Parts: sequence; structure tokens; C-alpha cells
Amino acid sequence: MVRVSLFLVSLAALVSAPAAAEIGRIKSSTGTASVERGAAHIAASTGQELMPGDALVTGKDGRIALTFIDNTRFAVGPNSRIALSKFEYDRTKQQGSFVTKVERGSLAVVSGRIAKSGRDAMQVATPESLLGVRGTRFLVVVPK
Amino acid sequence: MNARRFALPALLLLAGCAHSSMVLLPDEDGGHGEVAILKPDGSGETLVSEANSRASLGGSPTIKPLGAKGLKPTEAALVSALPPPAKSFTLYFLEGTTDMTRESAPVVDEIRAEIAARPGAEVQVTGHTDTVGSDGDNDALSQKRAEEILNLLANKGFDRTIMSAVGRGERELKVPTGDNVSSPVNRRVEVIVR
Repeated sequence: MVRVSLFLVSLAALVSAPAAAEIGRIKSSTGTASVERGAAHIAASTGQELMPGDALVTGKDGRIALTFIDNTRFAVGPNSRIALSKFEYDRTKQQGSFVTKVERGSLAVVSGRIAKSGRDAMQVATPESLLGVRGTRFLVVVPK
Repeated sequence: MNARRFALPALLLLAGCAHSSMVLLPDEDGGHGEVAILKPDGSGETLVSEANSRASLGGSPTIKPLGAKGLKPTEAALVSALPPPAKSFTLYFLEGTTDMTRESAPVVDEIRAEIAARPGAEVQVTGHTDTVGSDGDNDALSQKRAEEILNLLANKGFDRTIMSAVGRGERELKVPTGDNVSSPVNRRVEVIVR
């Protein structure tokens, strides 16, 4: 019985774990650049998969370019901390919601499918404001 | 009233002397969208609706045209670092098979070249059906179709770890039709390289 349930648990893990939470990948990075995932610091290397809750962190010479599974694209500038606070996306319906926090630094955005899926379905928060993204290309700068 | 009088200096202290700002840019295809500036609690709304305008964030936002000077050099560098847009390819198959049509065969090489040209490339294999059958059946059918073609591409040497399969059912018709219309053009697999 225990063996059977263990088998079921590992089967469930096999079916649901891979790729399920992947929300995007890093396309390029230069200088000091990392992904913070909880307490872990992962080098921001090309092809690195991203998960909801990750933060993108760059030093004074650092840059990160990345894409998301809904076709949103980001460029992160130097001295930045950008938190991918929420990313939910139904790939069949192409609907979801996406909240990014620009805690400091700079971010360029080309919005993707999520922004098209509902009013303010994509939001970018800065320390003093909340931006509702209505299908567009823009940049945000938050000085230290 | 009192709360407001205290909140404002506190905000200014937090922000230091430099203010946050945003710039609305034209889209790559020439149009442009909008950005609504809301307060952190989601209330209030200042709409930035003209491309090439700069808005201050925090307090009451002010919006000004970028003018002749354009973006600051650091901002221009940021925008040029954006990854290129995703590229889409369409594959057609002989009905009910995984045999590609003659026209689609060379597209596989184009996809291969596109992947090679993009560092950290990802491939999304998306199945589309025509309008014959129920929505639920078509979702399942298109997902299964996408998975079949993903396997086909993997057998042709494409890296499985960068590929994913998505079924879109009948939501995105190439040629609009009524319900329950058989259409070979709509039964297709779209391969998106990003």
C-alpha cells in the first residue's frame, strides 16, 4: 500500500513538475547579473529558466534580456532589482495576469499576450505607483 | 487631511531627490498602446496615451513629450537590449498523418536556422484545429497534435528541452469560418521561436 502511494506520488511529480512553472528564459546577460529564487542566487546565464517569484538583480555593469511564455519581453538595466511577483498564464486560452515590481533600476518592456487578455492584466509596480499596461512598449526608471 | 499632510514629505524623503519616471514608446510596428498610471492601491488614473512621452511617477504624474532630445543614452541602450520579437512558422500536414506537405518541408530548415540564430532559443509548438467538433474536443485534439509534431521535430534533431506543446483548439482560425466547417488551412501547426 505504501509502495503504491509512493509510486503514485512520484508519478504525480513526474507528470506535473517539469516545465509547469517555467514562465520565461534569459536570452542574454552581461556583467554582474543574477536570479534570486528564495535564498538561492543563480547566475543569470543564457537559457536560464525563470519561475514566478524570481527576482532579477544586476550590478553596476549588469544587464539581463529575457522573454516570457506569453511573448512579453524585458530588458533589465544596471543597478536594478526587478521582482516577478506574479505570473499566471493559460497557454490554451492565452489569458492570465502578470505583476512585476521595479524596486530599483530600469526596465524596458514589450508587452505580450497577457496584457491583451484583460484590462490591466499586466501591471508594473514602482515604489510610488502602479502601471496598468495596455498593450505597448515602454520603459521605467526608478532611481535609487 | 492630516494624513495627507504627513504622507507627502515622507514620500519625498523615500524617493530622494530623483523621481521615478516612465517613457511610452512607439511599438515596433509603428502603432502604440497606453499605460495607465495608478496609485499603489490601484486608485486614480492618469493615462499616458501619446507615444514618445515621458511621465513622472508618484505624487500627481506629469506628462511631457520627449521632444527633439529623445531618450537619454542610458534609456536608448536599455531599449536596444530588448530581445527580438518571436518569429512564427506554419506547418501543414496531410490529413490525419504526421507527413508534412511538400510546401512545409523546407520550413523545418528555416526553423532550425532561426533557433541557431537566437541564443537561449525556445520553441513553442502550437496546434490549431478547424471548427469541426466541440471546443473541448478541439482543445484536446490540438494539444495531441502539437505533442505529435514536437516528437517529430525531436526526431529530426531539435532539442527537446527547449520545446513545449500547446493546443489552441479553434480559437485562432487562419481563415474565419462558421462552426463545423472543415478547413485544411485552419488545421495547422504553428511553431513559434522566441
